[in-house]
Amino acid sequence: MNPEFQAIAGGPAPAISIRSLRVDYGNFVAVDDLTLSVPAGEVFGLVGPNGAGKTSTFRVLTTLMEPTYGEVVIDGVDVLEDLESARRIIGYMPDLAPVPTDLKVWEFLDFHAAAYGLGNRAQRRERTAQCLEEVSLTDQRNCWCKELSRGQTQRVVLAKTLLHRPRVLILDEPASGLDPLARRDLRNALRKLAQSGATVFVSSHILSELAEMCSSLCVMNRGRLLAAGTVEQVRHQLGSTERVLTVTPLGRLQEAAAWLASQPAVHDLKICGQQVVFGFTGSDDAQADLMEGLIARGIRLRAFEEKRSSFEDILVEVAENNRRP
Amino acid sequence: MNPATSIIPPVRHSAWNIWQNPIFRRYCQSRLRLHGLGVALLITLLIAGFIVTMVSSIGIRGHMTAADAARMGIMPLLVVQSIILFILGTAQVAGGMTAERDEGVIDYQRLIPLSPLSKVFGYLFGLPVREYVMFLSTLPFTAWTLWRGQVAWNVWLPLYLIVFTSALLYHLTGLLTGTVARNRRWAFLSSIILVFCLYTVIPQMAKIGLVFFKYLTITPVFEESLPGLLPASAGAVVRAGQRLLPTVKFFNLDFSEAVFTAFSQGGLILTFVVMLCRKWRRAEAHLLGKLWAAGFFIWIQILLLGNALPLIEPGDLFPTRGFNRMVRLMPDWAPKPGEAVLMSGIYGLATLLLIFVLASIITPSADHQIRGWRRARKQGESSLPRLADATTGFWFVLVMALAGAAGWFLFTRALVESRWFPGHQVAPGVLGYFTAVMLAGGLGFQALLETKGGRVLGLTAIFVGVVPLMTGAVFSVISDRLIPAASWLIGISPLSLPFYAAGTLLSLAELPAQAARAVPRAFYFWLFVSVLVTLWLVVRLWAHRKALARSVLAKPADVPTETGP
Repeated sequence: MNPEFQAIAGGPAPAISIRSLRVDYGNFVAVDDLTLSVPAGEVFGLVGPNGAGKTSTFRVLTTLMEPTYGEVVIDGVDVLEDLESARRIIGYMPDLAPVPTDLKVWEFLDFHAAAYGLGNRAQRRERTAQCLEEVSLTDQRNCWCKELSRGQTQRVVLAKTLLHRPRVLILDEPASGLDPLARRDLRNALRKLAQSGATVFVSSHILSELAEMCSSLCVMNRGRLLAAGTVEQVRHQLGSTERVLTVTPLGRLQEAAAWLASQPAVHDLKICGQQVVFGFTGSDDAQADLMEGLIARGIRLRAFEEKRSSFEDILVEVAENNRRP
Repeated sequence: MNPATSIIPPVRHSAWNIWQNPIFRRYCQSRLRLHGLGVALLITLLIAGFIVTMVSSIGIRGHMTAADAARMGIMPLLVVQSIILFILGTAQVAGGMTAERDEGVIDYQRLIPLSPLSKVFGYLFGLPVREYVMFLSTLPFTAWTLWRGQVAWNVWLPLYLIVFTSALLYHLTGLLTGTVARNRRWAFLSSIILVFCLYTVIPQMAKIGLVFFKYLTITPVFEESLPGLLPASAGAVVRAGQRLLPTVKFFNLDFSEAVFTAFSQGGLILTFVVMLCRKWRRAEAHLLGKLWAAGFFIWIQILLLGNALPLIEPGDLFPTRGFNRMVRLMPDWAPKPGEAVLMSGIYGLATLLLIFVLASIITPSADHQIRGWRRARKQGESSLPRLADATTGFWFVLVMALAGAAGWFLFTRALVESRWFPGHQVAPGVLGYFTAVMLAGGLGFQALLETKGGRVLGLTAIFVGVVPLMTGAVFSVISDRLIPAASWLIGISPLSLPFYAAGTLLSLAELPAQAARAVPRAFYFWLFVSVLVTLWLVVRLWAHRKALARSVLAKPADVPTETGP
């Protein structure tokens, strides 16, 4: 695997450590040689298009699936060897989180609270009320689970996941189906959890969603890890230093264009009306030198604009590049 | 660490304390809601009340005594109770389990910190809880009929004990079907079919020498209790008829029907619980461990022999005896030699089929093997643990094949050397042939499955196991002249080998003239070919396992290279 795309580490001992993970479904490789560390107390995102291997990775982390090979250690517990201990540490919310159709919201939560041994009936009631409050669903306590909207269902399952105060939360697409307000609440709830010492590993195929709530993230596609780190680091690792510059000189358009075309890191230059538009792959310093050079040649500038590719664009490009044979 | 997050201490829910089991309580909540339960109870009480009042009124009008009139209601009530527990309960368990998986909530249950046994018990008693309540609601009527009917406690208690163990057995069957079947409707349907077969098809196997299967139902205990449950006059007739029937024997031990049924069902219940616990512990695990599978096989063999051998001397094991007793055709009945040959073949075939089933449970798939070797490498081992799922099932199938051959031989010898066939003996050499049949069938099946996987095995089973049988059968009915060719064709199938072995090796075999030469020749030839093919498959299996181990162990340990953010 390209070391450039290796996962992050450093700082305190990682809460989740994945080494050389591989998951096969017959001849199909869902996760291929994934090595990754998630620092403790972080909200860590896993982003990738559908079929990237996110859910398979999460199912291995949560002991629901045995990988073809690899090692997974969560909070010092080898997940593949000590399932029972691992299950006590983890809180898992699956993709399209299901709820039983024959229970009310409080019954669903009380069942899980009892299963996790969270005290007597009064203590369980108090804890379920706390969790419902955290996901802003107190009013739906007596509703049937089957009557909840998609977003409410997601929140009920999140409340269930929080019940036993897990040290590591693994949330598969938790924001899908949530309205902007609920999404904001989710973001705040996850941050609060991270502040309280929990590690949150959250996946999504919508990057902007994760960028808002995660301190670090990694990108997967077709089972492989493409990049990991902060949003900026990931952008860098994915080779997206590319930017488009637009220069609008006051007169002397041809002269400015000719000079710019002769500069290193400038490419695909074209003149659009009164503007010179070109691609630039140089550093921020080199970009400042360009502006300085134009001014030094007596070319007066009305505007000097920079436009970077959006993260979504980069991901789409990466995914499409990977799709090509 | 912040107190907001903390590690949950291991939760100790006692598996036996069913009232505190969260899964059981969850189903009590959902399945005992007033609305659904009220309707179910109303219908049950109406039916039970109608039966008791109607039947006892008819009895009184027919000038029966009060006790006899009350007894008339016991049977119909038992039928209603059986339908509730056995049919509705089993379907509910199978369908409910599949629904959990369909909806996806089963993943939550996998993660909750309950022991696998607690989870199994939670579902076993929780899913059919409404049916249990419906059953309980009929008990006052039963109690009234038993009290008014003056039925002795030692008559009804064993019967209701076996009703309960049978319900457990069927519910576990449903739970297992629901756990394994992918589709809710299929699980529901197959559990109903299974219960239907248990009451119709399986007991018929008792009539062809496999007596043990009768004890998987309540029928033997029901028949034993019948005289005490019927009105006095009818009970006396049944009791007189029963004196003609054999009492249950296990080798030379005399048991009551209830004790032996509980013993037989207990073993299966235990095995099913083990299967479910394994599946709850790890979804990818084999249904049975290797040692348990081999032990289960030997236990079944002992039960089959223990039930069958004592019935040979009195002649009660022979199917024609039962038929003759029913229609009273021949007062001086004696079994035909062909009957014994056929029974020996059936025993061999049943044993072989059981080996196939258990071999397919304990044989590791390619994925299992790779995972096992990867784990061994991770732990610095150069071999797999002997009882791990990833370890070859070869040795255990070998043990089963040897035990099966021994059981088959003992059964056949007891049959042939019984007082019914004077002068006939089974030579010790027959054991060698029986062993060859079991080894060729069992080990060939196992080696092919482990080396090539289920798909190749399935195709082989169709083209080698079934197609020759069908083609041979068609040939044999076209013309008598084609019977030798048909015998050779049928002999290709390993399923025919037990019958061919019995027909060829037993001195009392009387093959039809057209097949008298072809069957022995076909048997020896195809057995030789089967043994050769099996040897070749076993050699391939070892080569395959070595190559796999080498390919996994040879790779250097995965050392990740991690970079900081």
